Amino acid sequence: MDAITTKHKLSNEEIFTILKSFITEVIGEEFVEDMDISRESSFARDLEMDSIEIVSFSEKVKSHFGENIDFTGWLSSMDLDQLINLKLDDIINYIETCQSSK
Amino acid sequence: MSKFMFVVPPFFGHISPTLSVGGSLLAKGHEVIWVGLKELAAEHIPAGGRFIVPHAELAEYQPAIQTILRMQDDGPNLSGVETLKLALEGTYIPFARYMLPGVSRIADEFRPDVIVSDCITFAGAICAHLKDIPCVTTTPVPPDVTGDAMQSPKIFEWQHNLIRNLQYELGVYTDEYVIHSREMNMVFTSAEFAGSKDPLPHLKFVGPVKGRPNNTPFDWDRLSRATSPKVFVSLGTLLVDIRKEFFQKLIDAFAGEPLTIVAATDPAIFPEWPDNFIVQGFVPQSQLMPEMNAVICHGGFNTVNDAFLNGLPMLITPIAYDHFHTASLIENAGCGIKLRYKRLRVPDLKTAMWEVLNNPKYKQAAQHIRNTFIQAGGNDKAVELLETFAQERTRTLSV
Repeated sequence: MDAITTKHKLSNEEIFTILKSFITEVIGEEFVEDMDISRESSFARDLEMDSIEIVSFSEKVKSHFGENIDFTGWLSSMDLDQLINLKLDDIINYIETCQSSK
Repeated sequence: MSKFMFVVPPFFGHISPTLSVGGSLLAKGHEVIWVGLKELAAEHIPAGGRFIVPHAELAEYQPAIQTILRMQDDGPNLSGVETLKLALEGTYIPFARYMLPGVSRIADEFRPDVIVSDCITFAGAICAHLKDIPCVTTTPVPPDVTGDAMQSPKIFEWQHNLIRNLQYELGVYTDEYVIHSREMNMVFTSAEFAGSKDPLPHLKFVGPVKGRPNNTPFDWDRLSRATSPKVFVSLGTLLVDIRKEFFQKLIDAFAGEPLTIVAATDPAIFPEWPDNFIVQGFVPQSQLMPEMNAVICHGGFNTVNDAFLNGLPMLITPIAYDHFHTASLIENAGCGIKLRYKRLRVPDLKTAMWEVLNNPKYKQAAQHIRNTFIQAGGNDKAVELLETFAQERTRTLSV
């Protein structure tokens, strides 16, 4: 049902808005309030997501943007410094690229 | 009689079990020394043992060592991947480099029959390999047998390259890891609790070893007057920066509840505490435990082991480092509930606490783990394994 919305390509800004709502759902509104999520937010350090939260975030991304977005697979191809420096903006760009390659 | 040389990092959680086992070896007439990076208070060192810091060889590295030790305080602010990087690349590898010259000199002087090297002080095992001395590894925390979901092939490669390059740099020209003993790795928990179904034969799970006596005074009268369920709370010796925030959450959750909270922390962090909180900086932890009904802790293995030895259920709030892994093991074994500190909500804390106290399944599971700990053998088993190992290896070397 969610996947139907991906029939048209979403803009970069739309993806950002959707990801922000997923993050809020995954880590809880009261914790997000203090975080001030931006495109520059680092995934590991600023959002403090642990592996369970990353998996649940990844499932939301998949069910919304389509099964061909292998978010955890993409993460596991990274080296340590790439993971440390991963920003929300990188994820937005990744999803945008996956959409255009369909 | 045999000569044992322990090589330990400057972290008390890793040193503590070696002091206990070393004390038992000394009591049986063996010679025991410790080699460390940082002096240890004399009161901790078992009678007859010597704790040696090779100051001469470490002198040029002191500024770097101090920087590394300060970086450990940043743990609660680091993500999982940053912690991994700090641990291996930022701490264990440079420590191995700094320690090896001093460890080698002391090994030449003491001529140990066995080097017992902690799992994160690679210098001990590397020295043993270079000098052909029999080697045992000690592992205080249950090893992470499953690995983290975030682990990627590139992280394995990073890890592998760091270790191989360290070994090459220190004169070990093999691609096999020699930083840990392949002959014996002594783990201070039970195989069942570690979730290790079919452990490799060189892994010896001996359970927790006995702590040393602690006769710190305590207001036992006040405790004996308390009629409500008693819960012990400790954050261990580290994590000073977040203490106030942590205990504020406990106060918000439990002030006025029909509970008695015994908290091991400096009372001065708040001008006053709720009436149902008994607070003291240092406490006789192992004497207190038998009086408790449950424990709240962050997953440091000292408190976790004490809680298990008394069959107590736990509420664990992992904060940093290996706490997450220990907390998952406790939850998987059914002995408690894990609430990640970074996502700790006061209502959840309250609900989880009463669930742990009122649902008997947690206590039953904790009592089962206690039995596996006791069956693992503790100090006696550790001594027996080390004595046999020393005798067999000495015999092999002399023929």
